[in-house]
Amino acid sequence: MRCGSLCQFLWLWPYLSYVHAVPIQKVQDDTKTLIKTIVTRISDISHTQLVSSKQRVTGLDFIPAVHPVLSLSKMDQTLAVYQQILTSLPSRNVIQISNDLENLRDLLHLLASSKNCPLPWTSGLETLANLGSVLEASLYSTEVVALSRLQGSLQDMLRQLDLSPGC
Amino acid sequence: MVCQKFCAVLLHWEFIYAVTAFNPSYPITSWRFKLSCLPPNATQDYLLLPAGVSGNMSASHGYYETSVEATFNSSGVYFSSLPKSAFHCCFWSEQDKNCSVLADNTEGKTFVSTIHFLVFQQIGKCCNVLSIGCYFYFQPEVSEDSAGVPQRGSFQAAPCTCDAQGCCECLVPVPATKLNSSLLMYLKISSGGITFQSPLLSVQPINVVKPDPPVGLHMEVTDDGSLRISWSSPTLVPFPLQYQVKYSENSTAITREAEKIVPATALLVGSVLPGSSYKAQVRAKRLRGPGIWSDWTPTHTFTTQDVIYFPPKILTSVGSNVSFHCIYKNENKIVSSKKIVWWMNLAEKISQSQYHVVSDRISKVTFANLNATRPRGKFTFDAVYCCAGPECHHRYAELYVIDVNINISCETDGHLTRMTCRWPTPAAQSLVGSTLQLRYHRSSLYCSDTPSIHPISEPKDCRVQKDGFQECVFQPIFLLSGYTMWIRVSHPLGSLDSPPTCVLPDSVVKPLPPSRVQAEITVNIGLLKISWEKPVFPENNLQYQIRYGLNGKDIQWKMHEVYDGKSKSASVLVPDLCAVYTAQVRCRRLDGLGYWSNWSSPAHTVITDIKVPVRGPEFWRIITGDITKKERNVTLLWKPLMKNASLCSVRRYVISHYTSRNGTWLEDVGNGTKSTFLWTEQAHTVTVLAVNSIGASFANFNLTFSWPMNKVNVVQSLSAYPINSSCVILSWVLSPSDYNLMYLIMEWKNLNEDEEVKWLRVPSTVKKYYIYDHFIPIEKYQFSLYPIFMEGVGKPKTISSFTQDDTEKHQREAGLYVIVPIIISSSILLLGTLLVSHQRMKKLFWEDVPNPKNCSWAQGLNFQKPETFEHLFIKHTESVTFGPLLLEPETISEDISVDTSWRSKDEMVPATVLSLLLRTPDIAKGFVCVGDPGNSANFSQAEGTQLTCEDEEGRPPSVKYATLVSKSGETDEEQELINSSVSKCFSSKSSPLEESFSRSSWEMESQAFLVLANQHLNRLLPHLTFSGLDELLKLEENFPEENNDEKSVYYLGLTSIRKRESDVFLTEESSVSCPFPAHCLLTDITVLQDSCPHFVENNFNLGTSGRKTFVSYMPQFQTCSTQTHKIMESKMCDLTV
Repeated sequence: MRCGSLCQFLWLWPYLSYVHAVPIQKVQDDTKTLIKTIVTRISDISHTQLVSSKQRVTGLDFIPAVHPVLSLSKMDQTLAVYQQILTSLPSRNVIQISNDLENLRDLLHLLASSKNCPLPWTSGLETLANLGSVLEASLYSTEVVALSRLQGSLQDMLRQLDLSPGC
Repeated sequence: MVCQKFCAVLLHWEFIYAVTAFNPSYPITSWRFKLSCLPPNATQDYLLLPAGVSGNMSASHGYYETSVEATFNSSGVYFSSLPKSAFHCCFWSEQDKNCSVLADNTEGKTFVSTIHFLVFQQIGKCCNVLSIGCYFYFQPEVSEDSAGVPQRGSFQAAPCTCDAQGCCECLVPVPATKLNSSLLMYLKISSGGITFQSPLLSVQPINVVKPDPPVGLHMEVTDDGSLRISWSSPTLVPFPLQYQVKYSENSTAITREAEKIVPATALLVGSVLPGSSYKAQVRAKRLRGPGIWSDWTPTHTFTTQDVIYFPPKILTSVGSNVSFHCIYKNENKIVSSKKIVWWMNLAEKISQSQYHVVSDRISKVTFANLNATRPRGKFTFDAVYCCAGPECHHRYAELYVIDVNINISCETDGHLTRMTCRWPTPAAQSLVGSTLQLRYHRSSLYCSDTPSIHPISEPKDCRVQKDGFQECVFQPIFLLSGYTMWIRVSHPLGSLDSPPTCVLPDSVVKPLPPSRVQAEITVNIGLLKISWEKPVFPENNLQYQIRYGLNGKDIQWKMHEVYDGKSKSASVLVPDLCAVYTAQVRCRRLDGLGYWSNWSSPAHTVITDIKVPVRGPEFWRIITGDITKKERNVTLLWKPLMKNASLCSVRRYVISHYTSRNGTWLEDVGNGTKSTFLWTEQAHTVTVLAVNSIGASFANFNLTFSWPMNKVNVVQSLSAYPINSSCVILSWVLSPSDYNLMYLIMEWKNLNEDEEVKWLRVPSTVKKYYIYDHFIPIEKYQFSLYPIFMEGVGKPKTISSFTQDDTEKHQREAGLYVIVPIIISSSILLLGTLLVSHQRMKKLFWEDVPNPKNCSWAQGLNFQKPETFEHLFIKHTESVTFGPLLLEPETISEDISVDTSWRSKDEMVPATVLSLLLRTPDIAKGFVCVGDPGNSANFSQAEGTQLTCEDEEGRPPSVKYATLVSKSGETDEEQELINSSVSKCFSSKSSPLEESFSRSSWEMESQAFLVLANQHLNRLLPHLTFSGLDELLKLEENFPEENNDEKSVYYLGLTSIRKRESDVFLTEESSVSCPFPAHCLLTDITVLQDSCPHFVENNFNLGTSGRKTFVSYMPQFQTCSTQTHKIMESKMCDLTV
């Protein structure tokens, strides 16, 4: 137990040090601003605007569906999946969005640490094991659907952040 | 051949291993063992063959046909950092006993490279074997139950090669993970159709690893003067190492050698001595457990000089502190550190406070807060000298101080995808040979308060721009990650890092400028409204800056700030609503982070109607028709409204009429500026309205035409004063009235030209007004002033000419008051002057007039009361006609004539006709002018009668006047002096007069001097001996140049005097040349000799030259009027002819 607590403290230390330096309000503001920025970036990608929201695309179940996110950890998991997907996409535009997602996850971790609920780092998911084959077959669909769903998820997160989400 | 027989294998170990049934293999270490090979049919009692292993390998006591020797020690094959083992498998014979084969180093290195793949190999060697096979097996680390002899098929064959000498080597790959495993192997040797097989051999590879020798052997002197030997461990060693150091010291004092085994990678070996040589070698071995020593490193030599600087060179950055140590040896004797002084560049002695004694032989100097090294020529370092008092060794330490304070500035583009960082390329010469590189470390979020250089960093490629800056681009970026950046300066002596700076891309955003910027003047409000669209990024709240100005080449911008991030427009007040404005907008984060965007593209306003016209036009009327009649035509005139009044255009004008009978009606007159209507009623009120697209003007001027009001006169006076051709001032005086005066109309026209009446409206409160128009002074203008009452137009006041300016009149009168007294004073002064002159003339005239009784020519003349001078001269000329009378005084001057031959006409006839004209003495200046007779005839006192004849030749006198310089300030004395000097010259023969003249001449010497014009001073000097000349010259020099014409000293007649030295009129008692007699010497009479022979013969005794100096005795004749002069001319000509 002692070792676990120590490891947990050490894991939190970098964030705690930043919490000391950066007011949490600024972190929240930056989080919202970054979400807006990502949403706008997705909006600026022209072909994502053409996707009809009424049409449901099957076969891409590994992309998280848009649903209200309740907690910071859930947000982080969702973003981790999106980040992994976007990293796999060859489009140049999404590289910047992927970087933004990484920053956004860092911010979420910082927010969580400020609430004494550290988030475990979520690595790649097993569900994405066959991502390569899917991308090879339907790159356009994957990109469009992923960006579209990411945009919706981010907008949900933006609303959730105003409600002070839990861990 | 022996080998081809049956044999048995006998293993001889140099030490005995216990062999148990559970472990049938023979553990071998890095020691030598020997295999003795026996024939295959030998008894197997001595064999301990594992299961599955061919049993044809046997050993028997006492019978040894063949033996195989294998070694696993350093005498075998060498590997680098790998377990090295060598099988020396030799037949037991004398010739093969010493067989050994060295492995190829290159092969060993190959193995090193394979370590990364966790594959280790072993090599076994055998000699004098026709063929050899090596089979190995790694025994897994399992429980004892499972431990057993592996099956035959579990062994793998290791490739073996044999050379011509019969030496073989086998490579057994050993994965890194199995370094600690037990390796079982056996050898199979075939020779002559007989196969020998060794028993199982067991070895743990890690025990036979021979490491590479250490690297980077280095010796240096520590701060306390010790010699420090340091090195680095070889790479990729699977266990800790121990080191053996072998070093030697060779100096003039001692020579010693030592070996030490240390676990660290450095060793201090005591104090270093100047002028010594140190040699060192190091080798490594496994720290714990069995192992093999590596080879020795190459010998490293470290030689110390007589002066040891440690460190010998320092590379550091600006602002840092560094220290140098020094040991100074002079003549085999170490100098005490107390006597050591430090110098910089052999030019500057370092302050004693900067260095101190470390020990009795080590001195230390410290430089704090260093400045950048200023290169001296090609030397980019500061030379630090350690000196023993006044003596400095030629060796020095080098101090390189480089300014690495390089500022890095970054900017994120408006799309938030690219961050460009720029930093200037230092041009310091000290950086020549250095390379600069930007390195950065990205943190996950934000920057720390104190950025520091992170051990893990990445380089960033930068490109040199035209402005000399390096530009590095980060794309894509992490908006909220802190990029800690610094410049690494790689110098030959090391590397330096600039102070790190941390940049958050989100904080250095330069947004895109606002888009869709529009500018307009709002209708009915009259404000300049600028609207824009916020740029897409950043999402933060923005502040805006608007600049606007009148459109043109040089726009005078005005600024307007908008701090509301949600604003998309702003309105500003502008003075001119009917002008084209240009506006631009830029933005920046509201929190002040980042940069201002560029200005947006300019937006321009369009001139449109903003409001209804501010007012209606000013208008006036022209009434035509018979005054007696009740119906008259009235033509209304108005001036078109300007933009600032019409806001911004006028579409048409509308006249509103009002009469008591007809009420109000409107008349649309379009864009015209005049309209005529018939005035029929007692009162008729009109109003002119201006109409634009918004509506009609509200504030308008009214004009009521009323018959009764025409007689109301309130303008008492009207005056017009011309200022210049473009401005006239009108002033007036109004009398109080009961009517409500609205304003005044001023009307003027040029009466001489048929031009339209000009008019303008003047507020009723104004009493004078400046009219700016083109006025011609010689023209006649009519000015009228109409009082405009609420009830109607009053009676005008009209003037038809400009009013005389009282001021000017007063000025003229004032001038008159000044001028008149001046004229009167001048007249009085002139009159007084005339009277004085008259008195003087009379005095001169009568003072030296001889007794008429003794002068025949004067008989009959009343000198006491001459009626006029003319009369006197007439009388005189009449007397001149009588030669004897004229020549009577000549006897006086006979004795002083000097004959000189005249060589030319010019000489014979002096070019200068002399006439001594005494002006009125200038008392203030102390001189008397002798002027041209023509110019100052009234002041002439003497004139030769022959002058006229000379002048007939058309030669004007070249001498205008003479100047008499006098120091005396007394007018009377001076006058007297002049008179006496002049008069005495005339009568020098007379003894009293001669004395008088002589005396007066001496007086002249000091007081006055008469000279002639057109003569040079140098021609005068040889003949002037009196001392007054010097004073004269001084006086002349003292004359201001600009007054030279007036104040020049003229030398009267000296030319003739010089040329005719004998003619100089001299006194007997003095050697002074008389300055005056020149005019008295009527030498020109000589000219008349030819024309008047009789006259000459009868009256002159001319001597050989026929010339005679003549001294006139009639000074009174020197004064003559022009008329007299003419008369004299004719008379004298008659006389000479």
